[in-house]
Amino acid sequence: MNNTSNTAPIVAENLSRHFGEVKAVDGINLTVNQGEIFGFLGPNGAGKSTVVRILTTLLRPTSGTARVAGFDVVKQADQVRRNIGVALQDAAIDPLMSGYELLELQAVLYGIAANKMKQRANELLERVGLTAAADRRVSTYSGGMRRRLDLALSLVHQPAVLFLDEPTTGLDPMSRLTLWEEVRRLNSEGTTVMLTTQYLEEADQLADRIAIIDHGHIVREGKPSDLKRSVGDPTLLINVSRQQMDQAKVVLSAFGDMRPTAEGTLGVGLKGGAERVAEVVRALDEAKVVVEHLELNQPSLDDVFADATGYRLEGADNAPQAG
Amino acid sequence: MHHKPADTARQFAALSRRSTLAIFRQPAIIAPSLIFPLFFAALGSSSFSRAISLPGFPQVDSYLQFTLAGTVTQGVLFGSVTGAAALATDIQDGFFDRLLAAPTSRTSILFGRLAGSSVFGGLQALVFLLVLLPFGVTVQAGVLGYASIVLAGFLTAFGVGALMSVVALKTGSAEAVQGTFPILFILLFLSSAFFPRETMSGAYRRIADFNPISYMVEGQRSLSIDGVSLTAMTQTLLIPTGIAVLTTLLALRQLSVRLAAR
Repeated sequence: MNNTSNTAPIVAENLSRHFGEVKAVDGINLTVNQGEIFGFLGPNGAGKSTVVRILTTLLRPTSGTARVAGFDVVKQADQVRRNIGVALQDAAIDPLMSGYELLELQAVLYGIAANKMKQRANELLERVGLTAAADRRVSTYSGGMRRRLDLALSLVHQPAVLFLDEPTTGLDPMSRLTLWEEVRRLNSEGTTVMLTTQYLEEADQLADRIAIIDHGHIVREGKPSDLKRSVGDPTLLINVSRQQMDQAKVVLSAFGDMRPTAEGTLGVGLKGGAERVAEVVRALDEAKVVVEHLELNQPSLDDVFADATGYRLEGADNAPQAG
Repeated sequence: MHHKPADTARQFAALSRRSTLAIFRQPAIIAPSLIFPLFFAALGSSSFSRAISLPGFPQVDSYLQFTLAGTVTQGVLFGSVTGAAALATDIQDGFFDRLLAAPTSRTSILFGRLAGSSVFGGLQALVFLLVLLPFGVTVQAGVLGYASIVLAGFLTAFGVGALMSVVALKTGSAEAVQGTFPILFILLFLSSAFFPRETMSGAYRRIADFNPISYMVEGQRSLSIDGVSLTAMTQTLLIPTGIAVLTTLLALRQLSVRLAAR
């Protein structure tokens, strides 16, 4: 689903940002298509927040260009701001104000008419499940409530493009799922979403396409399923009785290379992926092999990340930092 | 950047409301700037009660009457740091970025913050006047005198708040802003806030002669002791206005520097 880049909501061309000697972002090219959830995946310090800060007009690029919602992020920064919603991980919400007061303030900043402010604020509070807490000061909110309020704030002006910078970092699993649901719902309503995350599962679950950034460079880009497939075939694991092991091995080897597994389990790199599982089961059945257990293990995004960078994202705090 | 004046005004009003609410929602911040100046006034009143008979002191019934203007100025200087410290906190914790990522008029961000501490400055002046009145303190200039002293509180808080905002915008550190407060305190003590310049000598006197705080305080003092005069009104209102204009220009320049450095 690649649109032509000049109509895509986010287009970055040869974008760089240097801080002195440090090349935080080094000549990246990026296109996010209309209606996509685009995941920007990388460890801390990889450059993903710097890219988002450039795209949301908070930083100027050292070189290169970027257009968001059709406007240049440097020359038409104000128009960009009017068309995007931004929820930044490191942008605190004023703890002395209530959720409702902050929504009102945000509405004023985006020029929403006074007679529509109350209705819009109430709609958003209901949408993110904060109606009951609307008049409480934010200092009394939990982390999950703050993130939901942050999302509501970013939606006040019904933006065409939404930037979510690490929206679930530090949240408990329930709050994370709630936020994912809301992001999916927004996307289904037509909002293009660019999401940065260091969570593999989040990128896998939410994103239509992802880019992996490492040391200021995009090292992989594509659909999660395609990227995982590019690393290699999924592994089909099968348990059969000891007597039928050799027979099963003969059948399985016709579908790909046998792979090392735990004792008592047979593994095959299944060429063609999940679509061929039924075919394997039929072949085993025809050979009178009784399958006790079967599972298909897809390559993970961490495998993709490791393939691209030489280290794994999980536990990547030890990876060299790009700034 | 093209902001309609009406939008800018609305944004300024909303951000001013935020900063004013923030001050009044933090009693721990406002209490010291109300209590300490009154404490100093009480202390001075009992310690220096006989000082008013020294040559150089104006004709007053009590030291409290003499020190009214100094108490008001001291309190306002105390309070004026809160707005700038809050601006630095906004920068530190990212609320500033939240405002910048929206189509917010950049000057509204600064003036909205200053509005809160200025309103507080005016209110402080009013509170000090009302609290000290039952203790025999008077303002001979009447309603005009009261209004001028309250307005001076507003203007002083704005001007000093803008000066402190330069530090906030340069450093992005609330601690750095708080750290500059002792300088204000020293400037206050090196003025005629607590003793007439006529009683000073040497370097102390020369510094007090150059210190604009001396003239602000003396203007208010004249309104309270002598009544309305052009000199008193000029000193009370024009000096803080001049300071506010100058420091606002410095703060706007520092804001531009900060935004250009992004």
